[in-house]
Amino acid sequence: MRNILLVATREIRQVIATKGFWIMLAAVPIALAISGFASKQLAPEDTTAYTVIDESGRFDDVIEARVDFSYQQQMLRDLAEYVEKWDLETAAGDAPWANRQAWLNPAEVQRFIDMGGAEAAVEALEPDLADNVPPHDVEDPFYVRVPLPDGVEIPASGTELSASLLAAFEDDISFEDRRLPYGAVLHIPANFGEPGAEARIFSNGRSNTSLIRHFRDLLDETVRSDAFTSQGIDPSMAAGIGAMQAPVSVIEPPPGGGRNLTFTRSLVPIGLVYLLLITAVTTGSLMLQGVVEERSNKLVESVLACVKPDTLMQGKLLGLGAVGLVIVLTWAGTAAIAALYFEGFAAEILRPSLEELQDPLLITAMIIYFLGGYIVLAMLFLAIGAISESMQDAQSYLTPVIFLIMIPVLVVMQAALKGPNEPVAVILSWIPLYTPFAMLARMGSGVATWEIIGTIALLAAFIWLELKLLGNLFRASLLNDGKPTWKRIVSWVKSPTAGR
Amino acid sequence: MPAAAMAFHGVTKRFGDFTAVDNLSFSIPEGSIFGFLGGNGAGKTTSLRMALDILSPTSGSIEVLGVAPSRENAAEIGFLPEERGLYKKMSVLDTIVYFARLKQMEPAAAKAAAMALLERLDMADRAKSPIEKLSKGLAQKVQVATALVNSPKLLMLDEPFSGLDPVNQAMLEELIADAAKGGATVIFSTHVMQHAERLCDSLLMLAKGTKRFDGTQEEARAALPSRLTLTAKADPAALTGVTKARAQGDPADGWQSYAVELQAGMPPEALLEHCTTTGFALRSFDVQTPSLHEVFIHFVGAEPEMAQ
Repeated sequence: MRNILLVATREIRQVIATKGFWIMLAAVPIALAISGFASKQLAPEDTTAYTVIDESGRFDDVIEARVDFSYQQQMLRDLAEYVEKWDLETAAGDAPWANRQAWLNPAEVQRFIDMGGAEAAVEALEPDLADNVPPHDVEDPFYVRVPLPDGVEIPASGTELSASLLAAFEDDISFEDRRLPYGAVLHIPANFGEPGAEARIFSNGRSNTSLIRHFRDLLDETVRSDAFTSQGIDPSMAAGIGAMQAPVSVIEPPPGGGRNLTFTRSLVPIGLVYLLLITAVTTGSLMLQGVVEERSNKLVESVLACVKPDTLMQGKLLGLGAVGLVIVLTWAGTAAIAALYFEGFAAEILRPSLEELQDPLLITAMIIYFLGGYIVLAMLFLAIGAISESMQDAQSYLTPVIFLIMIPVLVVMQAALKGPNEPVAVILSWIPLYTPFAMLARMGSGVATWEIIGTIALLAAFIWLELKLLGNLFRASLLNDGKPTWKRIVSWVKSPTAGR
Repeated sequence: MPAAAMAFHGVTKRFGDFTAVDNLSFSIPEGSIFGFLGGNGAGKTTSLRMALDILSPTSGSIEVLGVAPSRENAAEIGFLPEERGLYKKMSVLDTIVYFARLKQMEPAAAKAAAMALLERLDMADRAKSPIEKLSKGLAQKVQVATALVNSPKLLMLDEPFSGLDPVNQAMLEELIADAAKGGATVIFSTHVMQHAERLCDSLLMLAKGTKRFDGTQEEARAALPSRLTLTAKADPAALTGVTKARAQGDPADGWQSYAVELQAGMPPEALLEHCTTTGFALRSFDVQTPSLHEVFIHFVGAEPEMAQ
């Protein structure tokens, strides 16, 4: 055991002395930081400014209310989801945000607005929040109405943009000490509604579709209402008809449930499949490189005078296994921290997935599959290293092996996302080379306990056989010069005393 | 009779149809410097690998320091393989300490022994250098240090002089002699007879996996017919024990120089005595001791480099 640890320690020291190891270790934390930063940068937190020039005087008040209504409707929906996620219904009482369907009901949205909107709702909930419940983040309003900026003119007629308007669209504008992107100008002529009179929407052409839709809807409703009135229908009745809604109830599972459930629950296990693949291939390649170095540098004989080939092999597996574990723990650890303590893309994805995986049996099985998968792959790399004269030589063995592993693994990950009992995933679960990948991928969507126990037993038997057979190959080929023929490789694999 | 540091008893090693070592028996006394002499493919490396338990004999048995070969006595053995290499990225000191640790030394003792060796090898200032920054000669010295660091009872060196420049060859000879003075048994294989001639107490000559000779240098030389040069009035060919006598150069004042070869086993002193008693006139009598190279050719029948 002492020498196994010595060999393992040397392997670890050799790996951590390389730049590649540190780059790899830092890869996930950096990626998470970038994703957090990017999601902040890419989030639509910039409020867009717009201007309404209403010469008809009919729309001045209603437009702003319409735009705000839409924003508050979205806020109500977000807030209700937050309340449901953190079980705050009791605190919410009969407020609109206690009901996840409320946003569909204009009357409820209006009640929400009348109660002070999102900001007031968050304040009302705050005293009832438990320590582990993060406060709800209210997005800034999507749009804010501003007067026509100084120096900006709109053309009296026609559909061309004036130079000053174009300049304002291209740069941000100043409004109440803020710099805001300028999105659109709605010009409604005094005679709007009369034949030939046309409202004009000048837009910067970027992502203002909802704003333009609000303008259009409002103008459409006005034109229709005018038409109803001209036909002798009472204006209030016309407005009522315009506002009529079909009684529709939208039924959907709670957040993270239903069709999303498989996806959500599978995220961590499938992440582990990727991690397993990446760490096994990376550490396996390092192991392969090490063995090739020992053989091509002719230093293996010096080592073998002190330790048995089995000790050398076990030391390598242990040492590089430890390196792999450090990489995995660093990655998984930073991902977990990102999920639990920070907001952002990674957090949004990981948090519900981690919550789903609490079963100790599942966690134990996942660890076993992970370690088993590592040994299965690492041994293959080690054996390839032992029969290769150079890295170029190793590459010729490695390429088909990588394909043999990767393709079914990628297939199984896709299949497992569709459901735990997809035939491909089930079949590959019982082929030991793929068991760890297939089972990990299926874990999230629920696998029968007997299947977990059965595949682990089969995997253990396979690892025993693999260690025995590839151990034979490793022992026999270490001091062999030149590239062995397939016939020799087979004879080495079969004989425990080959090469001795 | 001193205990054997290593003994082979009827050892044969086959690789498939090829017999690398054939029914080899010999014994190496403790404290001696022992030479494994033979050309490429003679079975030297295979024999050493069997003694180290890297290979197993097909038949026969081996004792190393009184026990069957195993890694159990790695702590008492130092080994320098013929084909050498080190971990390129490791530092000189770390490399020596690593091998010392594999030979069961404690970290502090390993480091102290490594530093002491580096001082001796005049490499203390390179302790932190990575191996890849060293010249080939310096890397060879580090490799020698990995074999010596545990002050082994048995030092096995496979072609230790190959790849070393004359200065380092001399240094290695000194290290080997010092290790022997310190009580270690040194076994080294070589096909360069001069090193063996200077260092070895006993020799084993191998060819094609079989033993051709096993004994001391004196015994080896004695097995060759004695050769001498004498200056006489008469042709010595007829003298008792003389097998060949060839005149060299022209006679001067009736005295002729002859190259003479004696029957195997007949000492030159016996011929001198015979000449004196029979009144055979002699002006000079020079005995030529055969070189190890000649002894090798005698036993193996080929130049060491060619012997297969």
